[in-house]
Amino acid sequence: MKRSHPLANTLAVLGYSVMIVPILFVVATAFTEGETLAFPPEGFSFRWFEAAVDYEPFMEALVSSLQLALVSTVLALAVGIPAVLAIMRGRLPGRSVVEGLFLSPLILPELVVGLALFQQFMLHLELDNFRTLLIGHTAILLPYAVRVTGASLALADPTLEDAARGLGASPWRTFRTVTLPVLRPGIISAALLSFVTSFNNVPISLLLQSRDFRTLPVTMLDYVQQNYTPIVAAMSTLLLAGTVALAFAAERILGFARIFGGINR
Amino acid sequence: MIRSRRIALALLLPGLALLVGGVLAPALTMLLSPPRVSTGEVFDRLGRMLSDPHDLAIILRTLRVGLTVTGICLVLGFPTAYLLARSRSRWAGPLLALAIFPLLLSNVVRTYGWLVVLGSNGVIGQAIEGLGLADEAPQLLYTELAVVLGLTQLFLPLAIVTCYSAVAQVDAGLDDAARGLGAGRVRTMWSVVIPLSMPGIAMAATLVFAGSVTAYTTPYLLGGSRQTMLATQLFRYSGVSLDWAAASATAVIMTTLVILIYSAATVVTRAKAVTR
Repeated sequence: MKRSHPLANTLAVLGYSVMIVPILFVVATAFTEGETLAFPPEGFSFRWFEAAVDYEPFMEALVSSLQLALVSTVLALAVGIPAVLAIMRGRLPGRSVVEGLFLSPLILPELVVGLALFQQFMLHLELDNFRTLLIGHTAILLPYAVRVTGASLALADPTLEDAARGLGASPWRTFRTVTLPVLRPGIISAALLSFVTSFNNVPISLLLQSRDFRTLPVTMLDYVQQNYTPIVAAMSTLLLAGTVALAFAAERILGFARIFGGINR
Repeated sequence: MIRSRRIALALLLPGLALLVGGVLAPALTMLLSPPRVSTGEVFDRLGRMLSDPHDLAIILRTLRVGLTVTGICLVLGFPTAYLLARSRSRWAGPLLALAIFPLLLSNVVRTYGWLVVLGSNGVIGQAIEGLGLADEAPQLLYTELAVVLGLTQLFLPLAIVTCYSAVAQVDAGLDDAARGLGAGRVRTMWSVVIPLSMPGIAMAATLVFAGSVTAYTTPYLLGGSRQTMLATQLFRYSGVSLDWAAASATAVIMTTLVILIYSAATVVTRAKAVTR
């Protein structure tokens, strides 16, 4: 039976245009030969890609962003996975309150979190900005770790773990041989989402930048405000290419939709 | 099962400490007694903001933009999600991936495209000038329209994914049953599919609204200083003028808005769950 309605089709096409077309314009203008951001691009060249790769602030910030995203992802998983196990397998009182607490950073506006971290850790405790950023990024990634790995743990049958224990396996062995294999897809999804979220974050990083350690999105944002050259279009296109590669890898490992299914659970 | 309560607590503790010490406590301190100013000053400033026409205009603009973006995202996102969830075409999978993909991409990259589209020598302006609709390419950047467009692009994927999981949970057989009983496509949609996917729609609306009223990158790039929103205002107070009382007051307003919308959504979905 035909389910679609011409109006629904039109709205869907409109939706896709709004989502995708501006991104295509970024890619197209990155290949211009001209000095300014314009469409259609004047001529065709890779000069702005060369300029982006040669522009030291971008490359330094890229390395910083990658470091920060990697370390905060590992940290968020390292404290998040044990917490998921405790919430879902431990007989704790007030379980739903604890779970709500772990999801609470999703509700606080990130700019508010950034401001709070700046005031408490940088102004008050005089922590350096890398450590402050690390605390902030790890904390906002925790909800992903808890929700996404929690969703895959919910699929696991706890009686299997009890059976393993009954057959004499130690708690650690039970975790390693029974629980972990079920959790693995959830952990990979959580890691991927966390990495991307941290790498792209602006609001937390905005107030916490310093001359020694700046993240890439904030550096690009500052650059756009002062210049109108296509260098940011080229940098954006490089990031886009990197993200496409990551998405394909994710599709090969797990299936793309499955990773994102976890967000909404 | 983890039998020992002590082990469970030990597993929970590092995450809990990070959460409370790293986010919740600092946020609460900032909202209630930020450094260098007293709680009284924050609430004094809050009171003045809620009565000053300039500050009120910013609050109202933020609300208006948030509601508009939420409306557009639902109108465009729900039908898209429905078509994707019900389609048996082999293109449905790749199209869903194409809708999800932008979520992996930096807001800066996504928003930047609008500078090309809406900027002074942008495509739309030149087209209007070229068609003779105006003598000069109109200024589209730094308008509320630009901010609404940018935020719609940003949050539409989230609306689609959230509505998609809601529609996917509604048995497609129910659509067919309604159609078989003589309901038209519109009627089936209106009295079967939409009511049954209401919790997902409410969740999508919440996520889009909360995201829109707290987004920074898009209003900063596309709205500039002419279309100040709560987030850009908050950054100006804290990052530029170092007015901590005003920054905290703005943060209180923003946080309250977001908590209100989440509470409203919780009430709606709970009520729905009870009536079913």
